Amino acid sequence: MNLIEAERLYENSVKILKNNQHEKGGFYASPPGTRYPFIYPRDHSIDILGCIAADMMDEAKKGLEFVLNSQKPLGEFSQRYDVDGNDASYKDLQIDGNGLVLYSTGKYFEATGGMFFEKLADKKFVEKHWETISKAVDFILMNKNEEVDLVHTINSIHEYPAYEHGFEIYANCACCAGIQAAVKMGAALGKDVTTWEMEAEKIKEAILTRMYSPRRRSFIKCIRVKEKNSNPIGYDAFASSVIDVDVVEYAPAYFGIIEQQDIKNRYTVRRIHENLWDKEIGGLNRYPEMWGRNNGGYGPWCHFTCQLASHYTAIDDQDMAEMYLGWVVDMAHNYLLPEHISTIERFEMWLEDYTNAKILRDSKLTMIENVRKHPKWKDGMAYVTIPLIWPHAEYIRAYKDYIEKFG
Amino acid sequence: MISKAFLLGIIEMVDKDGLEETTDWLQRIGIKLAEIEGPGFEGARENDVNYIPLCPFSNILLDFIQMYGERPSQFTELVNLSNRKMKEAEDGWKYPALTTVTGILYHSYTRKRAELAGVELLNVGAKCPRTHNNVYNEKALERAGMNKEEVDKYLERSYYVSKIQYPDKE
Repeated sequence: MNLIEAERLYENSVKILKNNQHEKGGFYASPPGTRYPFIYPRDHSIDILGCIAADMMDEAKKGLEFVLNSQKPLGEFSQRYDVDGNDASYKDLQIDGNGLVLYSTGKYFEATGGMFFEKLADKKFVEKHWETISKAVDFILMNKNEEVDLVHTINSIHEYPAYEHGFEIYANCACCAGIQAAVKMGAALGKDVTTWEMEAEKIKEAILTRMYSPRRRSFIKCIRVKEKNSNPIGYDAFASSVIDVDVVEYAPAYFGIIEQQDIKNRYTVRRIHENLWDKEIGGLNRYPEMWGRNNGGYGPWCHFTCQLASHYTAIDDQDMAEMYLGWVVDMAHNYLLPEHISTIERFEMWLEDYTNAKILRDSKLTMIENVRKHPKWKDGMAYVTIPLIWPHAEYIRAYKDYIEKFG
Repeated sequence: MISKAFLLGIIEMVDKDGLEETTDWLQRIGIKLAEIEGPGFEGARENDVNYIPLCPFSNILLDFIQMYGERPSQFTELVNLSNRKMKEAEDGWKYPALTTVTGILYHSYTRKRAELAGVELLNVGAKCPRTHNNVYNEKALERAGMNKEEVDKYLERSYYVSKIQYPDKE
């Protein structure tokens, strides 16, 4: 890996985070005038984690203030908000947002304390937002199925109900880790959080047993269930399992529910690498091509590649960490990272599929135009939505992990 | 089944308590739902124009009309009453440009959510999911400073067009 280029990409990623935070605190998913000029709690939470990794604590706090103040009356953090914090979502429930907001709040709280936690941790901030934190946990538990102790959602990280409606791995891990974070924050403030602690433990146990396939040696993507309160779930209209490989099957370790070294995680990552590492252009795809929702053409995603780079760093596999992180560095264009990368052939294939099926929405037209006019198009590559802020935040985290261990 | 039951309930309500009561009932449901959801805007936004690419409840409504055999006269009367008030009332801009009975509920829901966000939503036009005819609210158009041609451009790709009116811009 070219370490000088890697460092430059890190420096620009820090700038990107700073430049894409609205004055009211929200991080744009992509800069105004591009594809996603809204604040998505999922992206926003990872941006906050990026700020924490880059020691931008004021920005992290401002981001948390924004999102915590945007909570809906029932305790939900919805798909997206406008810059004023008004709900602007167009999709059904994506409960991982609740988990992520809690998880990033917990990480901020931990980071403010550091080695002198008792004295320095920002307890005032957590106390100020305690009611919001409580409502966020309650909302998660409101969506937990009592038969299997898993959290129900309609959408998760890919916003793709066909494969995510039910008990989905990323949503469950985010929510479990979110409740665990709330438990830690509550304990530090002297609150009684024993019920939450027990509920988080039940969800963790269910993830490790119901969502792990010993024969496949991998976590699985989703237990499809239509209704959250189905009991018994075996009679639910959707009852089935999604056992295809998905990059977010790495979520239990990503959220610290299990150790990176845990054999379940290492086998899962091996399956992800074998099936989703792109053999033509490198980088990590998010799910199998045949799932068919390949906006802009099937291809690898920078932020998922960064996540797995951190895994390899954590297990001391420098060769693989370098291969993953080095690919991200190589793919950056003017130190900017796209959402994902495809080839012209794959891009045109997707366009044909969506045009023929008449499912090409108006909102995609700008994206298509931007992909075709990007300088990388002449190199045979389709750079989709550049820059996206999320991969810059993940890159900051992965780069810091790598440099701290191998630098 | 619950959606069919609700639509049948509207018919029963008109027969039992009349058009005014039913309108009021649908509006109150919309407002209560908005209070549960909190401040926000559905659909797409271009500058200060908010538009809904998919017609809310239309699948359910069209299925119901097919099942019922015709558009229930109670639905037609509710829509006509609302649109008459829209034209006659001094504050007619507050009413929806109504094409469907469920629009009564939906309009009070979206207006209340916008109100919670500190703005006023003016429903300048709508397209009927059944006939594809456009309906406009002239008073809302005037208040929003828009014309029908502008609204038509949005209605080519949506069903419900509103102008977001910020208090300090009035």
